[in-house]
Amino acid sequence: MERKIGVYICECGPNIAEKVDIDKVIDAVSSIDGVAVAEKYKLLCSADGKKFLEEQIKKQGLTHLVISACSPKDHEKTFMEVCENAGINPYLFQLANIREQCAWITDDKDEATKKAIRLTKAAVRRVRYHASLEKKEIESNPDVLVIGGGIAGIEASLQLTSPDRKVYLVEKAPSLGGLITNFEKTYPSMKPGSDSIKQKIQDVDKNKNIKVFTDSGVEEVLGFFGNFEVKVKNVTEEDETVEFNVGAVVLATGSTLFDPEKTPQYGYKKFDNVLTSLEFEKMNISGKISLKNGESPKSAAIIHCVGRDEKGYCSEICCMYSLKFVRYLMDKIPDVNVSNFYSDLCIPGKSHQKFYEQTKGKNVGFVRSSDVEVTKKGDKLGIQYKDENGSKNSISVDMVILAPAVEPTPDAPQLAEITNISQGDGGFFAEEHEKLGPVSTSTEGVYITGCAQGPKDIPSTIIQAEAASGKILSSLVPGRKIEPEVKTSHISESLCIGCKLCLSVCSYGAITFDEAKKISVVNEVICRGCGNCVAACPSGAASIKHFTFNQLYQELVEAVQ
Amino acid sequence: MSETSLNSKGAVISAKPNTKEAIIGILEKAMDKGVFDAVLIPMRVPAGDSFVYVLIKDKSLLKDAVPLSPVMSVQGAHAVSSVTRLGKGNMKIAAVMRSCETRAAIELSKLSQINLENMILISIDCPGVLSMSDFIGDPKKGMKLFDDAAEKWDDKPMRPVCQICDKASMVAGDLHIGTLGAKKDTFFIISNSQKGNDVMDELDIALKDSIDSWQAKVKTLSEEKQKKRKNALKDLKSEIGGLDNLLDTFSQCINCHNCMSVCPICYCRLCYFDSDKVKHPSEDYLQRAESKGSIRFLPDTTLFQMGRMMHMSLSCVSCGACEDACPMSIPVAQIFSMIADETQGSFDYVSGRDPNESLPLIAYKEEELHEVEDSND
Repeated sequence: MERKIGVYICECGPNIAEKVDIDKVIDAVSSIDGVAVAEKYKLLCSADGKKFLEEQIKKQGLTHLVISACSPKDHEKTFMEVCENAGINPYLFQLANIREQCAWITDDKDEATKKAIRLTKAAVRRVRYHASLEKKEIESNPDVLVIGGGIAGIEASLQLTSPDRKVYLVEKAPSLGGLITNFEKTYPSMKPGSDSIKQKIQDVDKNKNIKVFTDSGVEEVLGFFGNFEVKVKNVTEEDETVEFNVGAVVLATGSTLFDPEKTPQYGYKKFDNVLTSLEFEKMNISGKISLKNGESPKSAAIIHCVGRDEKGYCSEICCMYSLKFVRYLMDKIPDVNVSNFYSDLCIPGKSHQKFYEQTKGKNVGFVRSSDVEVTKKGDKLGIQYKDENGSKNSISVDMVILAPAVEPTPDAPQLAEITNISQGDGGFFAEEHEKLGPVSTSTEGVYITGCAQGPKDIPSTIIQAEAASGKILSSLVPGRKIEPEVKTSHISESLCIGCKLCLSVCSYGAITFDEAKKISVVNEVICRGCGNCVAACPSGAASIKHFTFNQLYQELVEAVQ
Repeated sequence: MSETSLNSKGAVISAKPNTKEAIIGILEKAMDKGVFDAVLIPMRVPAGDSFVYVLIKDKSLLKDAVPLSPVMSVQGAHAVSSVTRLGKGNMKIAAVMRSCETRAAIELSKLSQINLENMILISIDCPGVLSMSDFIGDPKKGMKLFDDAAEKWDDKPMRPVCQICDKASMVAGDLHIGTLGAKKDTFFIISNSQKGNDVMDELDIALKDSIDSWQAKVKTLSEEKQKKRKNALKDLKSEIGGLDNLLDTFSQCINCHNCMSVCPICYCRLCYFDSDKVKHPSEDYLQRAESKGSIRFLPDTTLFQMGRMMHMSLSCVSCGACEDACPMSIPVAQIFSMIADETQGSFDYVSGRDPNESLPLIAYKEEELHEVEDSND
């Protein structure tokens, strides 16, 4: 078939027009064999511009389209849509970036024009070697597996459930609720912790579309976005394994506390009346704050940042719950003296400062300190510390409450392996992008929420549960098929030598090894076209659609000539 | 292969009537006892002018084997790969090879081109090999030349790349036969893995003798070689360094790709440089001729060498097979060996040193290659 390439240069208002001699670019490309038309336009991404392009493609009978304009990040999709609407395959199009890469990087119009010519010529040469790529559609299962029955998992389940979507909620403990069920009250409202969770648990129990597995663990998750096969094992009844299919997975496995025995200077398990924050919460929910001998403490110290140096991160929530503990103590023991030992006070947010101001007072001290050590001092506990000026001080108290760092649950590594995601800083599940993709992961269809992703308070946990649910609700619509990535990798059966290097570099688990043929095989549904395997393949067997060797070579020949 | 651990003790074996026959005697015994089912070992071809690897199942044929052949017409790792590429099979096979061949086999196992599970790699102290062209002219003379030189451990008649080899006694496989530093009419057997220990156990050979004299001699010899290597590579670098010299050196290349065919590490089914990807329409060549004034044919010879170097230098074992195979006598092995030192050195990697060490390009280490990071970043 004869190629008819249309080349359109966008002025981008004054952005490109003022810095690049567009007429020279048109001159340079219009005589190239196969170029049927080369024209400029004021703003191709505008509604008029898109209409113009569509008409041009149809009128001129173009087979290929080259646009010299902005970054593909901005408008590649826009122009691919234009191609589709005009009836040509959107992959028979190439966008040359003459704005960010030419107009915006120099004041020298000659230089900018020269480079714009090169890039446009390179795009024209490349587009000749483009192949039509067809979108694929596959059936998907709208059901969701939620792992972890704390506030994050419960919230996600409630958000996701609907008559045409089943949610499987798996909790390893005998009942739902998670850490929150231990909290007497929550800050800063100081309303009972159970308020926030009881109703939600009831809603889950009543909901026919949420199937709850307690005392259970996920054994296996195989497959890909839209089609995961799941095995759940009940740990109380031996060998009772349930299998079902889902389209997405939410990891809401929460957190645990750093073991203060690893920091022996705080006297945990060495001396009586040294408690962790969780032990103190449980004491409060049972009604009474008391020492080992049954009496109420007259004084208490709260030591913040336990394990912070060891873990290498701030756990975000400890300062706030420590303030809440001060309130617990003041409410239950009228004349109690409370001293807080912290290394940095972290109380961000619109209402927390007020809570802090209202909490501190004549019986409540806040000491910025270092080298804190707990010793036995007669019936009491001694606290030695260095204050902000470095001078040594000490006080005695009846009770010490430790605020240990928040850690991922011990089964995080196992779950990361099962769901094919990675662990990041501190062993928490790694998000796809710390800013732009905080609840997605490197595996499409697997999401992380709440403390499984990093230490956070209840509102942030709810936000993430809702965010993950939103991601799933918008991408996994019952009855709608899903479109996997089109620009996927392919491994040539005749060239693959079976060295398996590609398997070790694929972040998405998209490559399997065919033991019978001794070759690697790409699952095009899972592949996201990152190109790692192409780079790693020593025998040239792996290639990626739309970035084939020849396409890149032809583009480069022109670009570097 | 199980984890490697060079034993500090070995076994002193009587080399009667001579080392070769004593080694073969042990191999026969091992086949007798079923310690292994077959032996892969060099043997002289019937015409007498070359040597190939033979997989021996009938132990009576072992007597004609030559554990240390005077030439390397087939790289042993190539042979092992042919046997086990499609899986380990159910036979235990002992491969008797030089150290560089053993190391190539280990590299190939990392690339799934060799399955070492049922292999027992046995290496031998290597005095070097003669170049194919020297040997083939007069094999009889060559044989004597090699035997005399090997006896005196004189590397002058050996290939240039052997003369500067500092890893001739490197123990990377399961067992090693050490002739250096041994008392008259004896040699050492040294084990380097659990598999090696098990073999010796089954043969009732105790690993309880001191190998200090072997170690001392190996150390002296490899230090000497290192010195020699440093000087030789320095000279080579000044000869071929820089783009012009490099182009000159490879301008003799006739694009036969023999170096690639004999290289144990070059295992691609179809070399990129033999593929359609480097066959361009005539306009391309005209365009290239136009921009440079002229272009030579066959094209891309230097590019082929550089591409091959880029692909395999991290796994190159400096075995010299490429140089032996070059009809134009380009010092390919010496050049590749020099580059391999640098590329492997930048990752603290030694090809084939340890089967458990992963290939540097797929192992991520945070603390490496800082020298090439962007200092403005």
